[in-house]
Amino acid sequence: MLYAVRVLIDPPSFRRLVRARELLAEDDRPIAAIADEVAISQYHFIRQFAALYGTTPHQFRTAERVARAKQLLSAGRPVTDVCFDVGFESLGSFSALFTRWAGVAPSRYRRSVQVLMRPQLVPGCMGLLGELPAGASRNSREAARA
Amino acid sequence: MLKIKLTSIMVSDQDKALAFYTGVLGFTKKLDIPVGGPYRWITVVAAPDDLELSLEPNENPVGKAFQEGLFAQGIPATSFESTDLDADYARLREAGVAFTKPPTAAGPVKIAVLSDTVGNLIQLHQTL
Repeated sequence: MLYAVRVLIDPPSFRRLVRARELLAEDDRPIAAIADEVAISQYHFIRQFAALYGTTPHQFRTAERVARAKQLLSAGRPVTDVCFDVGFESLGSFSALFTRWAGVAPSRYRRSVQVLMRPQLVPGCMGLLGELPAGASRNSREAARA
Repeated sequence: MLKIKLTSIMVSDQDKALAFYTGVLGFTKKLDIPVGGPYRWITVVAAPDDLELSLEPNENPVGKAFQEGLFAQGIPATSFESTDLDADYARLREAGVAFTKPPTAAGPVKIAVLSDTVGNLIQLHQTL
């Protein structure tokens, strides 16, 4: 447990936390602004969110950004574009954070995925085994259409 | 004759799931086998000859969408039987588990709902 607190989340609070999770995934406002929007004090927001989702709002947002960055890099987008697309303002902080979470620098990740992608058709399940995001590969129908 | 010996639940993180299902809920790890990449075939049981519960990664976007949709609607992914729901509720709350429903009588059963921290709401039920 991230925080040793007793947490009973009533239905209105549950709905607010579900909404907050969507907001964290889709916009870049500070955590405090998200807590404000769903009308939960920041103190309770962080604790309730962590108890419900097993991750703090900040960690959740970072994980979402890294996952989105992996998808975009797999699709061949340049590292600089991806950095700004997923909500970072500096390439340095994006690279450092991506490297910490993904275990490899974004440029290297992009190259390694491109090499893996070259044999064209990678079935979805094989892509998963190779740690590719599921969106990175095409199935035969999509490939035929392209 | 066919038997039902296995069921599964999707989890957003297999390590965290294993820690929660064993360390917090109190199940026992039965199998933990690498199956390629970062993924493992992990099952837990409540007793040695019990039904096995497989903790499956939700990496497939279809699985992820289903899991997140159920959760957002407040619908439990499954239900575990408790022989003493009030005692389990007290024990798990003390361990920091988030409940979305405290023990509540519902006809012939008493139910409670908790979050497993890896993407699922789990119902606990006790037959009255």
